[in-house]
Amino acid sequence: MFVYSLLAGLLFGLYFSLIGLGLNLVFGVMRIVNLAHGDFLMLGAFVAYWLFTLFSINPVPSVFISFAIFAVVGIPLYYLLVPRLLRGKDPEMLSFILFFGLSQVIEAVATISFGTSERSIPGGELGQAMASVESFFLGTAVDNGPVEIFGQTFPAAWIVSGFASGLAVLFVYLYLYRTRIGYLTRAVMVNREEALATGINVHRVSAIAFGVGLGLAALSGVFAPFMLGSITPAMGVDVTVTSFAVIVIGSLGRPLGTVLGGLIYGVSYMLMQSYYSSWANLLPYVLLVAILLVRPSGLLGRQVRRA
Amino acid sequence: MLRNAFCGGLLAASIIAGPVFAADAPAEIKLGTLYASAGRYASISMPVHYGLKLWIDQKNAEGGVFVKAFNKKIPLKLVAYDDQSNTATAATLYNQLITQDKVDVLIADSGSVLTSVAVPIARDHKMLLIDQTGTGANFFTPDNPYIALISDPVSSIWPKPLADFLTQDGPKLGIKRVAILYATNDFTGTQANAVRKFIKDANAGVDIVYDQGIPTETSNYTVLLNNIRASNPDAVIHLGYAPNDIAFLRNVQDSGIKFKFLFCIYPGLETELLEKNVGSKGLNYVFTYVPSSEISYEANFGMPLKDYADAWQKKYGNTQVEFGFNSVAGYTTGLVLEKALSVTESLDQLELRKAIFSLSGKLKTLDGTFELDQNGAQVGEITPLGQLIADGPNHVKFVTVWPHNVSTGKPVYPRP
Repeated sequence: MFVYSLLAGLLFGLYFSLIGLGLNLVFGVMRIVNLAHGDFLMLGAFVAYWLFTLFSINPVPSVFISFAIFAVVGIPLYYLLVPRLLRGKDPEMLSFILFFGLSQVIEAVATISFGTSERSIPGGELGQAMASVESFFLGTAVDNGPVEIFGQTFPAAWIVSGFASGLAVLFVYLYLYRTRIGYLTRAVMVNREEALATGINVHRVSAIAFGVGLGLAALSGVFAPFMLGSITPAMGVDVTVTSFAVIVIGSLGRPLGTVLGGLIYGVSYMLMQSYYSSWANLLPYVLLVAILLVRPSGLLGRQVRRA
Repeated sequence: MLRNAFCGGLLAASIIAGPVFAADAPAEIKLGTLYASAGRYASISMPVHYGLKLWIDQKNAEGGVFVKAFNKKIPLKLVAYDDQSNTATAATLYNQLITQDKVDVLIADSGSVLTSVAVPIARDHKMLLIDQTGTGANFFTPDNPYIALISDPVSSIWPKPLADFLTQDGPKLGIKRVAILYATNDFTGTQANAVRKFIKDANAGVDIVYDQGIPTETSNYTVLLNNIRASNPDAVIHLGYAPNDIAFLRNVQDSGIKFKFLFCIYPGLETELLEKNVGSKGLNYVFTYVPSSEISYEANFGMPLKDYADAWQKKYGNTQVEFGFNSVAGYTTGLVLEKALSVTESLDQLELRKAIFSLSGKLKTLDGTFELDQNGAQVGEITPLGQLIADGPNHVKFVTVWPHNVSTGKPVYPRP
């Protein structure tokens, strides 16, 4: 029971790392809190759902499609919202209000468009994609059922989701540390004014980071029907709250700290489900309060401003 | 002489009373209710709300409902607010309906969670709460006359057929170890308490080997399923709302775990929704309640099931709100109100209660027999135990397995 909970927690935590990654990137670069993050995740989930329902497109290609759509949408959205916000006296506080409003608008429009009922994609679809890849490399037919890791059996969707989360973390790492735009992004993360003074096109860099942040949210949404049971237009708020807890645990503004936050959250959640199941959903809030009391800057907080 | 005077007096009284009677009649009967267009309870709230609206539209098209107190038909006015599945918002809006809108009839939102906040508010304001589907047993107490459960049986009697099956037929089938996983809210928590008690009281050699409560917001069951499997049960009972059941059954399917007996509530209540999300393969051989949307009860008032289903499809066929148990519940609320208004002496809340209680045991709708106990809890409608059998790639059919007198087939155990 303990080993299973631990492994399940790591896989679940990887997924929440993926969810938190975009939120933290946006905060790190712009110092704004995107309270509509969960709603962009929800929209990404619906993109995957409709692509599957209407065109029978497997969720794996939808990962790339969702990312691309929302990364592109994010750039004009940035120019529409963020520069005005940053001109305000207290952009962080204003961002709470603005993105809360945006969250409500997205949820309302999605409810009108998609209805209130739960929607899902069959669990076997991700397993099928994984089996196809395995078959390609092994040269033999592979079952699309659950997967065994260290003697414990997990749904194939969890493995694909965990793998995708790992790749996304790698992508963000390469983006930040191995590309020119990444260097510029990190410069903006360290000090926006200094970056501006050195001639960096801060808005362009921020807009790209904002687009990547939304793209990551939408990408993680593709896995939501498999990891969170089903999707509804109203799911965004809960997701935002949990992912906010995850990034605070890791450290605000440090995307790679999100991985640590996600893993801690995932493992703690699964252990709680096993041993104190009635209290499991209190966990994000308990961790949030605990980390703010003990280490307000998060577990990797010392390096926040150095990026 | 005396007789003439008496007759004259009576005539004069009736002439005076006539115009006063009509003048006192309100221009409309205000029905106040809440619904959840978003959030966790939207999928159980919207069908109930739409069912109620269908009845209101029908009655208004006929010129209103007949109200005995005023001896005339009066149009209905619906005052409805969206609580977004939020109990705090719901509490504010219930207060608003009573104090600002001054509704004549207060109707709760669907489900025990959103009804729970209305119970004390209605009681404090001495308003009768028309409880549509809030079935938590603790809502109904001898000291509270301001509540009546209209469209669902009280939670404490829901699992009786399930428990009877497990304790009577179960041991013969080899069921001796039962696991219970339930969401900790009034609706499913009450059912968990009831099924636990029924099983223990039966003393039939059936043991509860796993018994865990989880938050209603739980959306991932993989670890819980592994823990249940470790307890090696012969039967697994999962008691949750529709989103819980969807996540639970999808996780069962994805994990490759095969339980010999699996019971969930919502595959029976919102079958169409579950078919869409879980698929017939995931629902195949799952035990569930057989709801009123699947059984054609002989109604002595209102549309029978088939006509109502047709009316629903005509009105809401293009919406994304599925027909099911809850859509029947909303319409049933309307029928009970209609009948009560036709016999009530006034719109006074306790008179309305008296009128509703007077229907107990006599009114039969498409939802079954309407019967209340002395505390206002619904005890007439029953929830037989059924098993779902795949009938095509995206459809399942019901086989009623308990009680034996209404059964339509034998249970398949263990689940293949």
